[in-house]
Amino acid sequence: MESRLLRVNLTTGELKSEAIPHQLFERWIGGSGINNWLMWEHFLTHDINCDPRGPDNIFVFGVGPLAGTGAGSGIKGRITFKSPCYGIFGDSAGGGKFPYMVRFSGYEYIAITGRAPKPVYLHICNEEAMLLDASHLWGKDTAETHALLQKEHGTWPSKTHTLTISQAGENQVGIAGVVSDALRIHARCGGGAVMGSKNLKAIAVQGNGGLPVARPKDMLSWSDDFRKKLDSNEAVYGFKRRGTLGAVEMYQHIGSHFWRNNQGNMFRGDEIRSDNWVKKYQKYSEVCSSDCFIACDSKYKIDGTESETAKKYIGETFRRPEYLTTGSAAGALDLRDWSEVAHWGKITNDYGIDNQDLSCSISFLMELKQRDLISDRDVAELFGHEQELRWGNMEDVEACVESVVFQKNTFGQLFRDGPYFGALKYSEIKGQNFMKYAMYGKGGASFTEEMRPFPTWMNNMAVASRGADHLKGIGLIEKFQRKDLSKKYFNGRTEAADLSTPLLKGACTALVENQVALLNSYGVCLFHWMLDPGGYTPQDYYGKAFAAITGIDRTPEELMRDGERICNLEKAINSRIGLRREHDTVCERWMWEPTEEGMYPGKVAADMFNTVLDEYYEWRGWEKDSGLQTRAKLTELGLDDVAEVLAQDRALA
Amino acid sequence: MITVHTQFHSHFREVAATARDSFELDEPLVSELAQRITDKYGAKMKALLIDPDTNELNERGTMFVDTKGRRISIEDTLNDGETITFLVGIAGG
Repeated sequence: MESRLLRVNLTTGELKSEAIPHQLFERWIGGSGINNWLMWEHFLTHDINCDPRGPDNIFVFGVGPLAGTGAGSGIKGRITFKSPCYGIFGDSAGGGKFPYMVRFSGYEYIAITGRAPKPVYLHICNEEAMLLDASHLWGKDTAETHALLQKEHGTWPSKTHTLTISQAGENQVGIAGVVSDALRIHARCGGGAVMGSKNLKAIAVQGNGGLPVARPKDMLSWSDDFRKKLDSNEAVYGFKRRGTLGAVEMYQHIGSHFWRNNQGNMFRGDEIRSDNWVKKYQKYSEVCSSDCFIACDSKYKIDGTESETAKKYIGETFRRPEYLTTGSAAGALDLRDWSEVAHWGKITNDYGIDNQDLSCSISFLMELKQRDLISDRDVAELFGHEQELRWGNMEDVEACVESVVFQKNTFGQLFRDGPYFGALKYSEIKGQNFMKYAMYGKGGASFTEEMRPFPTWMNNMAVASRGADHLKGIGLIEKFQRKDLSKKYFNGRTEAADLSTPLLKGACTALVENQVALLNSYGVCLFHWMLDPGGYTPQDYYGKAFAAITGIDRTPEELMRDGERICNLEKAINSRIGLRREHDTVCERWMWEPTEEGMYPGKVAADMFNTVLDEYYEWRGWEKDSGLQTRAKLTELGLDDVAEVLAQDRALA
Repeated sequence: MITVHTQFHSHFREVAATARDSFELDEPLVSELAQRITDKYGAKMKALLIDPDTNELNERGTMFVDTKGRRISIEDTLNDGETITFLVGIAGG
């Protein structure tokens, strides 16, 4: 496997190209696995307890070996860093063309350290890299920055593809993300604030290089079979039409939305259904990258005929909202018109900010106002002027968004790192405990989905290495009640697919975390896997594509062990930072306040939480009381070097 | 003979071109319901509902639940008057 890493020291301006040793792929597969290792190595010589907004933090971009090869499995690039909002391991994925264009420009990985003395951007064209002045880009949003960079660098030897931050990243807002080609946000964990703190406005790439494939015939044969498998399933056509919006109806049916700060779990009104979106808004489908056999993306352009509210947004064009954009807008904020949901998606993308943490910050404050826990005067103090906070009111929502992005006022400053830290600081200021209304899981990260009836999903919120998140160990076996998969992975047992028991829920989290780590390291899109073309087996079916492309032959068991190794390195990073069992937790509402509606009323996390968490540690081979890794487990995974570092830091069980 | 009601959502609704339907079944079996639905709505519905490899209900990207929210499978039995809901099974985004 040939691969190159570009190291960028922004303090000195030094740029260094390195070959990545083949052994690193043997150990870490690629993609997020190698990103994690670069972060781990960096913090062996830099203080891991550094300020994430300081020059000692590292920002890694990486893309896995399957991406851009024509395998057809979609593409995800990944950014990895210490999170400025949660203070723990941070990473985030994004699709589109940027990731494979990085490969075409001659690199797979970019590791950025230090801090530039003035705003710069990194330009890479066919292996030639340089830092250029970004003063003319500073103050621009992601769409403007992308357009300017495309104009400046033109279309030779290829179109220019970009990774940019907006004003939110420049202002080091902790929940600021990084946007690829002005369309797809790496939203989670605050990568935008890390770039902003380094005075790095953007990365622009161009290239027309090829990609190495060890066994082209095998790869083409796999790719052909993969396409046939996808084509044989009509559900894939449904997914092409609606993308993740197809989940809206399922979530409504079972009560899995996050309505008004999760005071409920069903959307109100009849408008927010995927059918209405397709009928009224969907103008044409689009493929997010040329290496995808599904093409689930699409565009809208509002012409004002869609609804009365839509007239406010005539001419607006952007991508179709995905589920979590919809969940945060129609759920957390109770916006009831599709044009507003779409507009929310567009502004949070243009401002490059995570709509999960942002919506939960706003809905926290709206709930305090709804309950008369704060007065109009309190709100005026937060905003510097009179401000209404009405559920479902886009003007009020936009005032909150701009407060955070531009750090305009006390509200924006308090909530720059999301609802948990905002609520904590505001409780202190007011001398009242408002934490009951803050929605969060591990690290203080928030997520706009109902979790209480779903023990595997709840466990993911408590243990995900990058803070509360469903993607790290996505509990599809449980939510879709896939008894067939439960039997397959757990020796004929079906409990992983049964919502009524805590059994196998912690085990299922560990299993899927390992699988997802593998997929993220291949550099593929998770949606192809979720549609289950190869029997839900990244270690088996996808493993054949990995072997064809890299020449690295692995048994499914070895690949599962590779996924487990990758998860254990993320865990080790957090253990060095000081995370223990008590940090694997969720907010008060999820833990203690029963659901009142939906198909599964009366559920609280506390019913099963500790049983599931204990089982998770058991299946992981970690010590239950402290939540720390054991030397035996790390040795079994070939991570003795990691165990040594943890032992020195007293972070080993 | 029993009557079973169906609710179609998302792609199921698009393929069936209706949100609801009812079926009179001779045997109270999911397999008979699946057969009746595919007979009525044609090849696209069959491709959505039935896994061609196993001839069972298609588990990939779909979700079929009874009134209590439990996933149904091809060997299950049905009660008179029961409603089965056909959903797209996807998450994330």
